[in-house]
Amino acid sequence: MAVHQLVPNFVSGDATGQAAVQFQAILRRLGHYGELFAEEVEPALASWVKPARALRPRKDDWVLYHHGIASPLSGALLHLPCRRGVIYHNVSPARFYEGTPLWEPLVAGRAQLAAMAPHVDLAIGVSEFNSAELIAAGYGNVHTVPLFIEPRRFSEDKADRTAAARLWRPSATLIAVSRVMPHKRFEDVLALHREVLRLRPDARLLIVGGYQPGSAYFRRLWRAAKQIPNVFFLGRLSHAQLVSAYRTASVFVSMSEHEGFGLPLLEAMAADLPVLAFAAAAVPETLGGSGVAFDEKRFAFLAELVDELNESAALRQAVLKGERRRMRELSSEVSTARMAGALGPSTLKKQRESKQRRRPRVAIVVQRYGEVTGGAEKHAEEIAHRMAEHWNLTVLTSCAKDHLTWANEFPAGESRDGSIRVLRFPTVRGREMRRFNALSRELYSSAQDRVREEQWIWEQGPQLPQLLRHLSESGDRYDGFVFFTYLYLPTAWGLPLVAKRALLVPTAHDEPALKFEAYADALALPRVLMCNTPEEHELIHARFPNHARSRVVGVGVESHRTSPARFRQKHAIERAYLLYVGRVEQGKGVPRLLQDHASMLRRDSHAPDLVLAGDASMEVGGEGVHYLGRISEQDKFDAMAGALAVVIPSRFESLSLVALESFAHRTPVLVNGRSAVLTGQVRRSGAGFVYFDRRSFAEGVREIAAARRQLGRKAAAFARKHRWPRVVHAYKQEMRRILETSG
Amino acid sequence: MKLLGKDINAIELLEQIERRLRARGLSGEPVSSAPLDGVEPRVDPLSFNLTALEEHADPTRPLPLHTHRGGFTGRALLLAKWAFRNTCQIFINEALARQRVFNGHVRDSYAQLSAEVLKLRKELDARSAAEPEKKTPAQRKKTRSPRA
Repeated sequence: MAVHQLVPNFVSGDATGQAAVQFQAILRRLGHYGELFAEEVEPALASWVKPARALRPRKDDWVLYHHGIASPLSGALLHLPCRRGVIYHNVSPARFYEGTPLWEPLVAGRAQLAAMAPHVDLAIGVSEFNSAELIAAGYGNVHTVPLFIEPRRFSEDKADRTAAARLWRPSATLIAVSRVMPHKRFEDVLALHREVLRLRPDARLLIVGGYQPGSAYFRRLWRAAKQIPNVFFLGRLSHAQLVSAYRTASVFVSMSEHEGFGLPLLEAMAADLPVLAFAAAAVPETLGGSGVAFDEKRFAFLAELVDELNESAALRQAVLKGERRRMRELSSEVSTARMAGALGPSTLKKQRESKQRRRPRVAIVVQRYGEVTGGAEKHAEEIAHRMAEHWNLTVLTSCAKDHLTWANEFPAGESRDGSIRVLRFPTVRGREMRRFNALSRELYSSAQDRVREEQWIWEQGPQLPQLLRHLSESGDRYDGFVFFTYLYLPTAWGLPLVAKRALLVPTAHDEPALKFEAYADALALPRVLMCNTPEEHELIHARFPNHARSRVVGVGVESHRTSPARFRQKHAIERAYLLYVGRVEQGKGVPRLLQDHASMLRRDSHAPDLVLAGDASMEVGGEGVHYLGRISEQDKFDAMAGALAVVIPSRFESLSLVALESFAHRTPVLVNGRSAVLTGQVRRSGAGFVYFDRRSFAEGVREIAAARRQLGRKAAAFARKHRWPRVVHAYKQEMRRILETSG
Repeated sequence: MKLLGKDINAIELLEQIERRLRARGLSGEPVSSAPLDGVEPRVDPLSFNLTALEEHADPTRPLPLHTHRGGFTGRALLLAKWAFRNTCQIFINEALARQRVFNGHVRDSYAQLSAEVLKLRKELDARSAAEPEKKTPAQRKKTRSPRA
């Protein structure tokens, strides 16, 4: 059973789209896969949010339609052959819009609300106030699932520094955040500001929110605002700019005469702003006794109150303390529990039968499997091969070999890797790297809202909706799951579906995407995080303090019989050489490595050559450079044993398997000193050097050449501490814990 | 006036501010608005749809002039729309003549069908009210005669 959502208009910054994405996250926590569909979609989001006409629900699926102003989707919903629900965000009262083009769609929206009532199985109000309107409109099965925000998205560090510097003034600053619409009563906000100016002549008013410059209401407001000093219309802001605006203000004010929920009230609370709001419609319910609500608009009085909130530290602190309490009451956990109640016991996941099996059925979920060069994928394959002796293993993965395009190369469906069953799902859309890189640059530059981050995860891929559906609908066939790599979509969206039975091998490193709050569930919900190094654990703890229990497990390594001479002869390599093994691409720091090596050769003609082995997505060449392409495992071990050192130029590593393999073959490493993980591995082993630039690279090579034998001994000693039996024991122990407690 | 909030001493705060206002000679401040209690009333879809179809059956009748754009562009657009309507109405009528007839049929058909729906609902309600209360499956089981 899937739970799809249908939204009239999906654009960034729109509250309904935000709510749909939030609800999708809580539905995943309840084990329900589902997709988003919309009548109109912002072009940038079109591959993720599908057109409403593409919705083909199965009979037992749910479709939850987000209703507000009139939409043709309300009629379409009634004819969908599935279970139907309405999520009601409220409709602004038409009385504020007499004589405007909005009047009719508003009344029609209420008529549609009543028309849908006899034809839907479930109605959800995002506030008790909205639920009361649903009951008045004739709905039976009505539940309240409040909207929520993620408070950490409004913390100081999420603010846009440039905007904050531009907006900050020491004077008292009122802020009002909302679309500039008649029922929001911005004229009353101006009236209040006028009164505040009598007390504090340097006070400012920031008005944040989209507006139609041509509307009669806005033109009136604009003319009025021009008569009053220090009024700033900031328009619609990006998320980071919005946080800056909240963080530079001193009091949040709402004069709105109708709110179905009032999300900006919570945003202001999360940004540590005292809230002063007119107690209309759902506002008192949303405030829940926090902030200060008032029932009459006496502007001189309210101006004194604003001044008191600014000047009295005791009052301000008491209000802020109450608001923090309210934030806890309206958490995503509360909404998740309410959603579970709304969907009813028949839709909740059945309790799994607790059977003691000799060999538990376990699924490993990984973005690629087989014939791939990639640290995490190789790691997953190693774990699969080792654990196949102990578990009935299925690998759930894509049909891709190439992690850049995710092109389907393996056939979809079932195949075998020895005793391991491999179930491959096709990617529905490949990745266009140029577009993805442009999106990454944009999103990495500042803090984002959830919609943008989830869009990034979708674009990152691999896009495997059938895998997600399999986890949701057939997840009960497995006793436990091991997910690899927090970063990719199968983990970010798939793990929450089966989190209570999941181990996560995060393979996290210090990369910009680890700042995305959208990964919080993937790192907080599993039973345990199987980290590779202490540095990885520390990194995750610093970014996500509420992460799941964590232990450092890593991988095991073995030394193999090697013949360096065989490798030299096969590839015609005569001189001493440094070895790079892995994906030959920009993201791994290879271009910089080639530059550092070329610079070293220019200064010292006796310097070693550079041998690169692995799939390449870039041009490789230069004096003393040997590019071998993909090589066999035996070739790799031969190459490692004969190398002066193995070089690891990547900055982003959660564990270098290559480093461990290198150590197992008594070969030291030269690693990028900007990677905390690699630096930690070198420090703990004493079997290598770190470098930061051309000079330290050349120095490192010289140092290694001078002490190659001693470093090799240290490397071998370190590798002996990383043997497979210890790793296998840890995985068996964690899976046993899951089996003991899940039933 | 009431102040609402669990974390404030509302009465004390109210008195303190009223004192300050009196000191400033602003004790008789007018009240501009008070919140309306309760939810918005239900809009009956059948009658709303009929009214809306009646209102918009004639596609040659223009909607009020409107643009969301501001400034000079907005004003120029409004002027252009106004000029188009005034000079081309005769062609608009010509182009939409069949649409007007069609919309009239849609309106009349909807009026007829909605009237039928209302009549059938009324009949159904009357029958439900007249029908004796149905027995539950448990009650039926009790009264069933034992098999031979």
